[in-house]
Amino acid sequence: MIFLFIAVPFILASIMPLIGKISRRFLPDLLSNLALFFLLIYAMTIARQLVSGGGVVHQLYFFGAPLNIILLLDGFSLFMLFIISLVSFAVTLFSIDYMEHYGAKGIYYALLLLMIGGMNGLVLATDLFSIYLFLEIAAVASYGLVAYGLGHDELEASFKYLMLSAVASGFILISISIIFGIVGSLNLSDVASGLKTLNFKYAVGFCSALFILGFGLKAAIVPFHAWLPDAHPSAPAPISAMLSGLLIKVSGIYAMARVFLNVFGLQPHDYLSTVLMYLGIISMLVGAIIALGQNDIKRMLAYSSISQIGYVLLGIGLGTPLGIMGGLFHLFNHAIFKALLFLNSGSIENSTGTRALDKMGGLAKRMPITAATSAIGSLSIAGIPPLNGFWSKLIIIIALVEAKMFAFAFIAVLASVITLWYYLILQRRAFFGKLNETWKNIKEAPFWMSVSTIILGLLCIIIGIAFPIIIKSWLKPATDVLSAGIIYALNLLGF
Amino acid sequence: MHLFLLIGLVAFSILAILLRDLLKAAISLAVASIFLSVIFFRLNAPYAGVFEISVVAGLITVLFVATIALTRSEGDVRESKLPMILFPFFFVAFISIIINILIVRHLIQIPTVSIPPVSGSFGEILWRQRTFDIIGQIGVIFAGVFSVLALFRSRGRNG
Repeated sequence: MIFLFIAVPFILASIMPLIGKISRRFLPDLLSNLALFFLLIYAMTIARQLVSGGGVVHQLYFFGAPLNIILLLDGFSLFMLFIISLVSFAVTLFSIDYMEHYGAKGIYYALLLLMIGGMNGLVLATDLFSIYLFLEIAAVASYGLVAYGLGHDELEASFKYLMLSAVASGFILISISIIFGIVGSLNLSDVASGLKTLNFKYAVGFCSALFILGFGLKAAIVPFHAWLPDAHPSAPAPISAMLSGLLIKVSGIYAMARVFLNVFGLQPHDYLSTVLMYLGIISMLVGAIIALGQNDIKRMLAYSSISQIGYVLLGIGLGTPLGIMGGLFHLFNHAIFKALLFLNSGSIENSTGTRALDKMGGLAKRMPITAATSAIGSLSIAGIPPLNGFWSKLIIIIALVEAKMFAFAFIAVLASVITLWYYLILQRRAFFGKLNETWKNIKEAPFWMSVSTIILGLLCIIIGIAFPIIIKSWLKPATDVLSAGIIYALNLLGF
Repeated sequence: MHLFLLIGLVAFSILAILLRDLLKAAISLAVASIFLSVIFFRLNAPYAGVFEISVVAGLITVLFVATIALTRSEGDVRESKLPMILFPFFFVAFISIIINILIVRHLIQIPTVSIPPVSGSFGEILWRQRTFDIIGQIGVIFAGVFSVLALFRSRGRNG
C-alpha cells in the first residue's frame, strides 16, 4: 500500500486540530511521531522490497472498482520518501519540546503533516498536474508554518515567500499548460513520448526555461533565491529544518530532475545540462560568499543551503551517472546535516533567546550536546573526511574531472573551502572562547530536542563510515532511474 | 474578439493590483474574472466558465466585500498617484506581449500530437480521470484552512 505515504499524513492532519482540543500536547506529539516513525520503517522495509525488482506502478481500488489514482514507486521516489520520512521524524521529535511555547500544537502538527503528505504525493505522482497540485499543498502549508510565530518578521517573511512562490507556481503552470496543449496529455510517459515524436526543440526549450524559473524559485537557486534568506530564518527552527532540509529539494530539485532527465531527456553536455551546471556553480559561490558575512546564525545557515543546493544541481545537471549519484548523495547528506544544524540553532535560540552570533560565545561549556552535534554537522557540510559530506562532494568532483570539466571541479573545491571557513567562524563565535556572562545560567536543550540532534549527528558519522552500503542500497537504484533518461519514462511509466 | 476580452482581463487584473482602496480592488478582480469566464465559454470550456463566474466572480467577491465592510476603518482611502502613472506602462507592456504571441502564433506553426477528443461529462472526467487531483485539491483546501487557523489563533502563546 504505497498510498499510505499520502493517506497517513493527510488523515492524521485532518483530525489533528480536533485531537489538539482534546489533548493539548500529549496526543498530538505522540500520534505525529508514531505516524512518521511508521512511515520511516515502512520506507525502509516493505517499500524497499517492492522496488527490489525495479519500479512498481500501483493503481488504487475502491471496493473493487479501479480508481484513476496511479502511483509510481521506483528507486528515485523511494529514495526521496526515505529522506522525507527520516528528516520529518527527527523534526517531529524535536518539536515535542521546542513547539511547547508556541501553543496550538494540534494546528502546527496538522500543517506539518500536510506539508509531508504533499511532498510524498509529489514524489509518487505520475502526472504533471498532480505534481503541481501536491507541490502547492506543501507550499501552502509552509506559508502558514513560516508565519507560525506571528511576529512582524515572520509575517513579512511569509508574505514575501508567498509572493515569490506564487510566481514560481505560475511559471510551472504555464509550462504544464503549454505541454498539455502540444502533447494532449499530462502523464509523464505520454509527454515524454509525445515530445520525442514531435522533436520540436523550441517548445522543449521554452518549457524548460519556464520550469527552470519555477522550480528554480522553489529550490532557491541563485538568482531566484531572494525569498529564502528571509523565510528560513524566520520560521520556527523545526520548520526551518523542514524547509531547508526537504522542501526546497523535493519541490525544486526532485521535480526538476524528474522532468528534465526522465521526460525531456537531458543529456550530458547539451544546452539544458550546461545551463543547470552554470546555475549550480553560481548558487554555490554566491551562497557561500554571502554566508561568510552573516551574524544571524539561521541566516548564515539559510545562505549555506543556497550554496549546497548548488552542489546538488551541479551533480544532477552534469547528467552522467556518477554526477547524478554525487548530486543525489549530496541531497541526502544535506537533508541530514542541514536539518541538524537548523535544529541546533533552535536549541541555542531556545536556551539563550538570541540568534546573533556576536552575542554568543563559549556556549559549549553550558550546552555540550548541542555543541558536539553542531560541530559534527559543520564538519560534515564542509566536507571533512570521514563524515558523510566529504564523500558526496568527492563523488561530484570526481564526476566533474571525469567529464573533463576541470574549471567546475576547481570552483566546487573552492566553494567547499569557503564553506569550511564560515562554519569554523560559526563554531568559534557560538561555542568556543570565553563564556559570555549573560549565559552563565543557561541549560542544555531539553531531552527530546537533544535526542533528535543526537540521532542526526550519529547519522552523519554512520553514513560517512558506511557510505558504500548507502550507495548500494539507496543511491544506486535512484541513479539508475535518472540515468536511464527518457527510455525509463517510456518503458516503465507506459502502463 | 478574443483580443478585446484579453485586454479587458489584463486591464482589470492590473487595476486590482494597483488600486489601494480594497473595495475597488475586489470589484476589479471580479470584473477581470468575468472577462476570464467569457473567454472560457468561448473556448468551449463551459464548466470552467461556470466555476469561474460562480466561485471567483461570485462567491469570493462576496466574501471579500463582506470582510472589507466588516473591517473597514472610517474615512476614504486616498489613491496614490503612482498607479495612474504606472498603469499605462503596464497596460502597453501586456498588450504588446499578447499581440506578439498572436503574431508569433501565425508565423510559427506549432506542431501538436493529434489526440481523440475527450468524451464524457464533467463529473465523469473529474471522478474517473482526475481522481488523484481531487485528493490534491482537498489537501490544498485543508492546508489553506489550517494556515488561516494558525494565523488567526489567539496570540497568547498557550492558546
